[in-house]
Amino acid sequence: MKYLAILLNKLASFLLSLVHRGGSLPGQLALKVDANILKELKISCPIILVTGTNGKTSTSNLIASMFETAHKQVVTNRKGDNMRAGITTCLLKAASLSGVVPADYIVLEVDELNIPYIIKSLPVTALVVTNFFRDQLDRAREMEQLIQKVEEAIHDFDGTLILNANDPNVVRLKDAAVQADARYFAMERCEESKTVNKEASEGKFCPRCGGKLIYDFYQYSHIGEYHCENKDYETPATDVIGSVKSIRDRQFTWKDMEFHAPQGGLYTMYNCMAVLCVADFFHIDMQYAAKTFETMDVPDGRNEEFNFHGQKCVLNLVKNPTGANEVMKVIEEDQDDKTVLLVLNDHAQDGTDVSWIYDTFFEKLVNEKTVHIICSGTRCYDMALRLKYAGYKERIEVEENLEKAVASLKNADTTMYAIATYTALQPVRKLLRRNEK
Amino acid sequence: MKLKVCWMYHDIMDLYGDKGNMMVLTKRCKDRGIDIEIDTCAIGEKKDLSKFHLMFLGGGADKEQHMLIDDLLARKNNIQKAMDSNTFIFLVCGGYQLFGQYYIDANNEKIEGLKFFDYYTESGDNGKRCIGNIAIQCNLDGEEFMAVGFENHGGQTRNVATPFGKVIAGYGNNFEDKIEGFYNGKVLGTYMHGPLFPKNPKIADFVIYKSLTKEYPDLKFSDLLPLDDSLENKAKNQMLKRLHAI
Ligand SMILES: [Zn+2]
Repeated sequence: MKYLAILLNKLASFLLSLVHRGGSLPGQLALKVDANILKELKISCPIILVTGTNGKTSTSNLIASMFETAHKQVVTNRKGDNMRAGITTCLLKAASLSGVVPADYIVLEVDELNIPYIIKSLPVTALVVTNFFRDQLDRAREMEQLIQKVEEAIHDFDGTLILNANDPNVVRLKDAAVQADARYFAMERCEESKTVNKEASEGKFCPRCGGKLIYDFYQYSHIGEYHCENKDYETPATDVIGSVKSIRDRQFTWKDMEFHAPQGGLYTMYNCMAVLCVADFFHIDMQYAAKTFETMDVPDGRNEEFNFHGQKCVLNLVKNPTGANEVMKVIEEDQDDKTVLLVLNDHAQDGTDVSWIYDTFFEKLVNEKTVHIICSGTRCYDMALRLKYAGYKERIEVEENLEKAVASLKNADTTMYAIATYTALQPVRKLLRRNEK
Repeated sequence: MKLKVCWMYHDIMDLYGDKGNMMVLTKRCKDRGIDIEIDTCAIGEKKDLSKFHLMFLGGGADKEQHMLIDDLLARKNNIQKAMDSNTFIFLVCGGYQLFGQYYIDANNEKIEGLKFFDYYTESGDNGKRCIGNIAIQCNLDGEEFMAVGFENHGGQTRNVATPFGKVIAGYGNNFEDKIEGFYNGKVLGTYMHGPLFPKNPKIADFVIYKSLTKEYPDLKFSDLLPLDDSLENKAKNQMLKRLHAI
């Protein structure tokens, strides 16, 4: 059955490539023929899984590129197809008919809910976890249940955990994985660190005893340095810790070496620290990581810049409050006048519950520098109401028709920011591109 | 005029953007020249709830409900005193459940409720949850009108004698009964998130009015100055249309 499954996957991938399509259909077919196909693969190289709420695609892509820059052969699901079928598609495509996967490293981005299946199907060497935030609660259920699922899955894991030391919800995974080693990455206190934080909705209580977690400082959301009031839990000693040189210039250092983050924001530097922790663990020279950070293409919708009718327009994807808050911070940093387009959809991939907009600090847009806000999308009026109740007094325009909403942007003689939920991202890009100069 | 609000366990019971309800109360009071003061009450904090005009308790995950239940039960006499002295009580999701007899969570653990009312909550079969947009015809002291929200709960609340409204689209208290929430003139409990108030300004105003009557018993609902709710009504109607409720 193994041959048939691999053959079928290859054939389907080939046929799809003829019509310039990717996707996880080949893996779905292969799993139908042989549900245990992943277990039957012959893999002798290290396998690195990357999971977490935010930054898993970027981090996974950076790790894969870092190995490639170091002249290693890498198999990876770079398109972010991170469910069971997508991962199967990616591995079988690379495998020989006898099931050998020829690679120096396998790097897989894995959706949190698929960790149990993947970890029991493959000989995993290292599991990288970026962070845990509330994300589309109606699909992923409550975050606590999600973490418990991951904890159960790693109970027998005897590889290495590579964990964000500044996220207490991530660090607790080590308690669950008694046989595993752990390496920790973090960022030192910096210009953006705060001692109080209104954005933090997780990480309030100690995962060991339920006592209060006391923060020495917050970096963003509940990411920071903490200890339990009962002294049984704290930020662990870190193996790889970066220090910010300049958030604005995206510069940070580790061990006297200077790095330039591929995107703005402190959260990007955390992704980079995860990469450096992996590099350190596998004894890869840091210069390859540094080079990767410099040359990495920014994926669609992450501070993606357009020239729209002669003005700068920056497009961002938002999918949860924490990611959205980081986008707000980047906009707030811009001291110039600006016009903002917010596109809020509520299809399944966006999350059908839009209440997360009340956990996001749109208040950061509420000042006289934001001269005009245009709301669109299937829940455009909900978006406008959020701004109204945030106290925004300048011009709010609601335009149900996306094309008209984007057209309305071009009247702006300011910098423009477009923010879109998942299903709105590509349509907005197309409209911006169409009018790009 | 001044409205004094106590927001219970605001730091742990804050699921699904329910803090938006407090934003709406604040703006709608201020726009009418009514002072509003929102105080919070954490676990272990001393507070006489009967001194407030409104008490609000939102929703939280199972873990959070376990965490605060002892503290909440210890306040039972004080909450009774608050109700007896006409403090209005607004409860969402988890808060609503805890005012009943008991709640059985997703892991089949039983949490004893405050037992003020006869309703009780059990977990859905096979972990099934009531999730999605919801439209109800609510009835508040004889005022009937449509309301919209988003529900997301595993708990099935039964034995509600006086519901908040009749379900037009969605689930409500459970998969079968076609009724939503609880309202007895003094306490309003609901599964409706969204948050509830932004798209339902009339309910927000009703809660403001009911709360103020504690100190101003002659106040009528119609005494509240009308505000421009065109955006609110468009948001509400957009959803009602989609749910074929208008
Ligand atoms: Zn502790």
